[in-house]
Amino acid sequence: MGYRSAMASKIAGAAQKDRADFGFREVGADEKTKLVRDVFDNVARRYDLMNDLMSGGVHRLWKAELIDLLAPQPRQTLLDLAGGTGDVASRFLACVDGDATAIVCDINESMVSQGRDRAIDNGALTGVTWMTGDAENLPIASASVDACTISFGLRNVTRKERALAEAHRVLKPGGRFLCLEFSRVQAPLLRRAYDLYSFAVLPRLGQVVARDRDSYQYLVESIRRFPPQPELAAMMGAVGFEQVTWRNLMGGIAALHSGWRL
Amino acid sequence: MPDTATDIDPRLLEILVCPLTKGPLSYDRTRHELLSAQAGLAYPVRDGIPIMLVDEARSLSDDEKAALAGKA
Repeated sequence: MGYRSAMASKIAGAAQKDRADFGFREVGADEKTKLVRDVFDNVARRYDLMNDLMSGGVHRLWKAELIDLLAPQPRQTLLDLAGGTGDVASRFLACVDGDATAIVCDINESMVSQGRDRAIDNGALTGVTWMTGDAENLPIASASVDACTISFGLRNVTRKERALAEAHRVLKPGGRFLCLEFSRVQAPLLRRAYDLYSFAVLPRLGQVVARDRDSYQYLVESIRRFPPQPELAAMMGAVGFEQVTWRNLMGGIAALHSGWRL
Repeated sequence: MPDTATDIDPRLLEILVCPLTKGPLSYDRTRHELLSAQAGLAYPVRDGIPIMLVDEARSLSDDEKAALAGKA
């Protein structure tokens, strides 16, 4: 990109402050929130299937790793953001024989009601607590939870800094935030192969298994637009998290970021 | 039979606040709504699940606001 066009896009960026990315399209920030809700209304029923396709089935192992790192203790309270399917929350409770509180907060009402219905079907009526809420404007009192997690959710949040600041606010001092998200593959060859799979294969799979190519296309693009590991760590530090670290999972296909409120 | 499945989990109720003002909420069990006096909004509770989104909330009438203020 030449100097002139770089300047031009800088100016355009400054002129449209409240713009957001929707995959590779630029849309208004409020429009993004609505578009993302549409995507998840479309894919809610098959969301786990989609995660399976994007991770080769290993997102379940990654979630287990997140819970290992969190090391749940009895009587703790977990707030799991964008946790519509409820799997992180149920794993958390399973670690302490149900002697804890796990709250799932998802912006999408249909994800929440399906997650709850599934829990009821599995006979787990008590345990996970469900609510609908916006990660950018959490309806949770300050300093009230021991742990806050978000798995494959932050990249769908319009204003990520605000969601991170809210996570920091609701944590008790000594509380921990963990973010599991698709990230930047480190080795160039592996990265090229994964890109090829993501862009050439996944939207077609989405078409076949969910009859919804566009939603899958958005999801693939949103992964590519998500801040790489060091950038996300810096964003966490900027809202007040301390001792921010991350570990790459499968060469960086996903990353698990950790930060503390001290 | 107590309808536990359609009531809010008390552990959640304890830490719920208005997403807009972060102020306290009062729970109207008969109408299934969480009322924020500061924001003048009523958040619906559907099937025991609180819907804490401003664009899903109902504006409180002046009478309702007065009633809330009287209680506080």
